[in-house]
Amino acid sequence: MDARRLVIDGKRGAPAACIRGIAYAYASESRTVRDLAASGSLESEPATLEAFGFDRVHVAVEETPYDLALSAATRLLDEQRTDPATVGLLVYAGTPSAMAFASAADAAAGAASLCTADRFRYPVTRLQHELGLESAAVIALDQLACTTLFGAIRVARAMMASEGVERALCVACEFYPAQAGREAVYNCTSDAACALLLDASDDADARNRIVGATTISKGYYWDPEAMREEVIASYFPTAVHAIHRTLCDAGWRPEDVDWVIPHNVSTRSWEVLLRLARLPNAKLWARNIARRGHALSGDNFINLRDAIDEGDLRPGQRALLFAYGYGAHWTALAVEA
Amino acid sequence: MQTSHARLDLDAAFGHGHGHVLVTGATGLLGADLVRRWTKSGMARRIAVLVRDRVRWDATARRLALPHDAVVALEGDVTREGLGLAHDARTWLAGHATAMVHLAADTTFSRPLDQARLVNRDGTAHVLALAADCPHVARVAYVSTAFVAGRRTGLIAESADGAATEQIGWVNAYEQSKAEAEALVRTARRDWVILRSSTIACDDTSGVVSQRNAVHQALRMFHDGLAAMIPGVPSSVLDVVPTDYVADAIARLALRRDLDGATVQLCAGAGAMPLGELLDECYARWATDATWRRRRIALPSQGDLETWEMFAQAVEETAHPRLRRVTRALAHFLPQLALPKHFDTARADTLLGAAAPPVREYWGRMIDHLQQTDWRGVPGLAEVAA
Repeated sequence: MDARRLVIDGKRGAPAACIRGIAYAYASESRTVRDLAASGSLESEPATLEAFGFDRVHVAVEETPYDLALSAATRLLDEQRTDPATVGLLVYAGTPSAMAFASAADAAAGAASLCTADRFRYPVTRLQHELGLESAAVIALDQLACTTLFGAIRVARAMMASEGVERALCVACEFYPAQAGREAVYNCTSDAACALLLDASDDADARNRIVGATTISKGYYWDPEAMREEVIASYFPTAVHAIHRTLCDAGWRPEDVDWVIPHNVSTRSWEVLLRLARLPNAKLWARNIARRGHALSGDNFINLRDAIDEGDLRPGQRALLFAYGYGAHWTALAVEA
Repeated sequence: MQTSHARLDLDAAFGHGHGHVLVTGATGLLGADLVRRWTKSGMARRIAVLVRDRVRWDATARRLALPHDAVVALEGDVTREGLGLAHDARTWLAGHATAMVHLAADTTFSRPLDQARLVNRDGTAHVLALAADCPHVARVAYVSTAFVAGRRTGLIAESADGAATEQIGWVNAYEQSKAEAEALVRTARRDWVILRSSTIACDDTSGVVSQRNAVHQALRMFHDGLAAMIPGVPSSVLDVVPTDYVADAIARLALRRDLDGATVQLCAGAGAMPLGELLDECYARWATDATWRRRRIALPSQGDLETWEMFAQAVEETAHPRLRRVTRALAHFLPQLALPKHFDTARADTLLGAAAPPVREYWGRMIDHLQQTDWRGVPGLAEVAA
């Protein structure tokens, strides 16, 4: 296979890209599911959420989304010993404009500032400045929920193809709204940020090569609270469709998948989805669901890094990443580790 | 083999019908059609019907345009000893009845077993007891369901062997109670015939649906995007039949002399429709509606029975009462699709001279009819959840 003639979301002709590095930052405080129930932050019974695999989540109190985004990105550039000047594109995704600078405890003030000139204080440009990304074009993404980092990768790969960008930094940070409790449709949420360094590369031996991707957005489900039943019902068949399209893009058969790297939603729903997707040999890397909870901003990539660091995902193995974002987006990525 | 229905042969059909034939379930879909066919074919004034609700029967008789006095209506109730008949009615039957055709049934799949047994098993026992008290009765015809096969898979025999056992199990209490009733019939006398109907899909091959059931309920859930998955395996087929095929078959076979001890399966058999093809046909039809198409509702994923049960369990554990009710409603029927079976219809085809119409012959028209009538009578999410 010509490594430079891969597929971006079904479109041939984009250069190959690899995920050169991943770093993340969680909020410093954590709570158990029982703690959250005691503080009235859950809709479901704690035993139900524990049965679905959740135990502990990270909860921002003093931190702002921007704090965590900066922390993750700084760590990534340090770990990868990357000269900031080599980054040609910065994609920031997640908490929008002035909201990104408000602490979780002061989210209402952050929201109010969106109605003032403060809305023009942008985290993406501040990140560019504070990280010293002088050569980087900047773009911000919104409204992709849990598929945000997948969207950032999609944009980065497209700009690698169209503008010759060689290296992109994608940073996502999303806090679950403080007034909304800590539960999103039977999933316990964490506050976290995740950063990826993406290189355009036609080196077939490069690590973490992206070899297939799919995004499906269905606008009919734009109002998830009003359409709860329909959203839940559409989740599985559309997820199976996204997964199979991605496998097709990658030229993999279902039995070729070694690991499924999840977004950290209910283990029960993953059991059903894996059976429906008929991934007979795939193992679900689910270790972080209990100890981390569900971070809207990049579970899959946090898990990808941890699966590599903990020696589970080995070079040459095939990993399938899948996430669903409220609002409604289904996305999957095929990665050769 | 022809698929059109041969003209009713009265001589053959009424081998046991020289006296009166007692019909139970005459206000139901099949029972009413049967009575209509027989009265129009020369059986008028030789039919007695057991009716629980006289007003409902009168309405049925008017709808069927039955001639005045064509049918003797006896008030009673199959759930009661002696069918709840008055003494003089029992005496009259003892003197006049030569056959009984038992169609009365509780076809609600979601009934608890004890309630399903009240009508389906115990009601049959009461019919058999009454028949035993009527010395001229020489035929008891029992209209059963092909899905007494329960969790059996593979070829389902046109015999007692086709029914599931306790060990094999059933998908719902309706199936079990009907299988138990069949067993009672087989042991009570020698002159029985059991006519097993597949699930009724529509009136005839025009696709018109007069009476909605679990099949239509499931289809509406698919149409409305409320069915995440469907149990099924690649070899799964849906076996359904039109009302007119089954009613015609009952009319012709229930009283035939040469069928003592016979089980006949009134099913699509080889004409059943593969599940994947059937869903594709539904979605293709629905997609002609631009509003529906824009919703981009995904075809439900197919999974094996274990996956379905995991899914249903996950829904059960979550706090979505509406979706839970929808899934529960489907759970009484859909698991059959993951238990692939093919009904042997050799005896039925030979006796009737034709096979049931293949499902694909009318499935599309039925889908169109449901859509065109705006799913009238088929509960949507709001009604299911109410």
